[in-house]
Amino acid sequence: MIRRLLVSLIPLAVCLPAAAGVELLAPDLQVLQLRVSIGWVLILLGLAASFFLVFLFLLYWLHLRRVGQALEAEQQVRTEAHDRFLKQLDHELKNPLTGLRAAVENLEDSASADPLPAVLPDIRLQVERMVHLTGDLRKLAELDDIPLELGAVNLEELAGDIVEAIRTQPLGAGRDIRMVFPRVPWPLSPVMADEDLLGSAFYNLVENALKYSRPEDVVEIRAAEHDRVIHVEIADTGPGIPAEDLPRIFEELYRGSNARERSGSGLGLALVKRIIERHGGTVSVHSRRDGATGSIFTVRLPAGNPAEPITKR
Amino acid sequence: MDTSVATLLLVDDDPSITSQVGAFLERAGYRVHCEANGARALERVRTLRPDLVVLDVLLPGMDGRAVLRALRAAGDRRPVILLTKVGKASERALALEEGADDYLNKPFSSRELLARIAAVLRRARADPVPLSSAWRLAAGRLILDRRARRAVLDGATLAVKPKTLALLEYFMTHPDELLTRERLLNDVWGWDYPAGQRTVDTRVAELRRALGDDAERPAFIETAPNEGYRFIASVRVEP
Repeated sequence: MIRRLLVSLIPLAVCLPAAAGVELLAPDLQVLQLRVSIGWVLILLGLAASFFLVFLFLLYWLHLRRVGQALEAEQQVRTEAHDRFLKQLDHELKNPLTGLRAAVENLEDSASADPLPAVLPDIRLQVERMVHLTGDLRKLAELDDIPLELGAVNLEELAGDIVEAIRTQPLGAGRDIRMVFPRVPWPLSPVMADEDLLGSAFYNLVENALKYSRPEDVVEIRAAEHDRVIHVEIADTGPGIPAEDLPRIFEELYRGSNARERSGSGLGLALVKRIIERHGGTVSVHSRRDGATGSIFTVRLPAGNPAEPITKR
Repeated sequence: MDTSVATLLLVDDDPSITSQVGAFLERAGYRVHCEANGARALERVRTLRPDLVVLDVLLPGMDGRAVLRALRAAGDRRPVILLTKVGKASERALALEEGADDYLNKPFSSRELLARIAAVLRRARADPVPLSSAWRLAAGRLILDRRARRAVLDGATLAVKPKTLALLEYFMTHPDELLTRERLLNDVWGWDYPAGQRTVDTRVAELRRALGDDAERPAFIETAPNEGYRFIASVRVEP
């Protein structure tokens, strides 16, 4: 905007010295026998041109603003429609799933008489997968207005609990999971958070790191604090995420080429993102497919009040 | 009265649910009647006089909640289990406020519904005033005021977090039932994930500390090893 205003002043800036030059060098020169000096004519011309340009730029600016507002409104409508769609999808899936679940249970229970159809366990598994999906859809919808139960959360303890819990699952049993948390000269500040929600987000990230890497790969959970922002990284030495998938992996139902053959609802990372954002934080990802391969998911959260006040000098 | 001959009215407008869930409940020994319309369901309750009504919330004709309110307004206290689709905490509170004895989120498992029906019927036989629709509940020295969101032990208010109080509320409205961690997570938190087991244990520990309850010799909350928890103190409706 300021640059445009300066541009509009150019005619004036050109005309003023020109007028001064004319007045100095040839003060008696007159145009078409008029009783006005050329200097004055030049100044008036410069002023008119400048005003005209300012006027044009203002019109252009108003037009841009209107277009911007329209775009923003359109974006809002689209976001709302998207959320509504997810909610409807959730609702429409639930009745048939309840019926399917009951049908499978009926079959399983009557199987004592007949031989059990071989496909039944498969159907059961797929039904439970869909049930899981509807559960995640509901959580996603709920996250927009669920009240947070905030408290001071010690991230090192939370991460320790998560690692302990995940080791009891087949996915985490026997895996090399490391934790690197600062201790010296002071530990990490706590964060003000809903511990249950935040825990589910971190659980999801650690679970992903294990799921998309090989059994011999290492998973490391580390944290650091810079300028009242806590960075938690969940890193793995897995094969990495294809570059074309990276910008989209936090989208709902997006399944990267890595994820297609794996189980999951396709909503895990979308859930993580919303949970972190509700806590005033951000989440991002870096990944490498050659050389030292692997992925790093970085969560940034505002630090809460430290348990022990730290005096900075 | 024997459980095996209890009569149920299953109200849902989706035929896949009435046929499949109905068949499941019948095989479990109940006499099951089905209805797909809210207004007709209300009529059917009056003529059939079932022992328990399983009622979907979204119904043509008359909304499930309206059916429940009409029943309660007419002084009909028969047990009702609501089938809801939205698992929000506010919805759950609403279901109880309107006088439902229990609620189950779709998509539920028929086995789970069966367990709920048995528990609600057992409770209804022991005490005709349902705990779930009472505003004040007492268990020994403990009084829970659900409207004021407050629990009082020996005259002193318990200092616990809101979620812990919600957990106590769930325990006291489902006494003597084995409550798995999974079910508590689903119904109280509305969130289930594998690490959530730890969340439940942490809250139960907080509740036990506040109640001065010894996990080894509990007066209120008993641990069922590898299964979950059970509220063992007897709960009555406080006037």
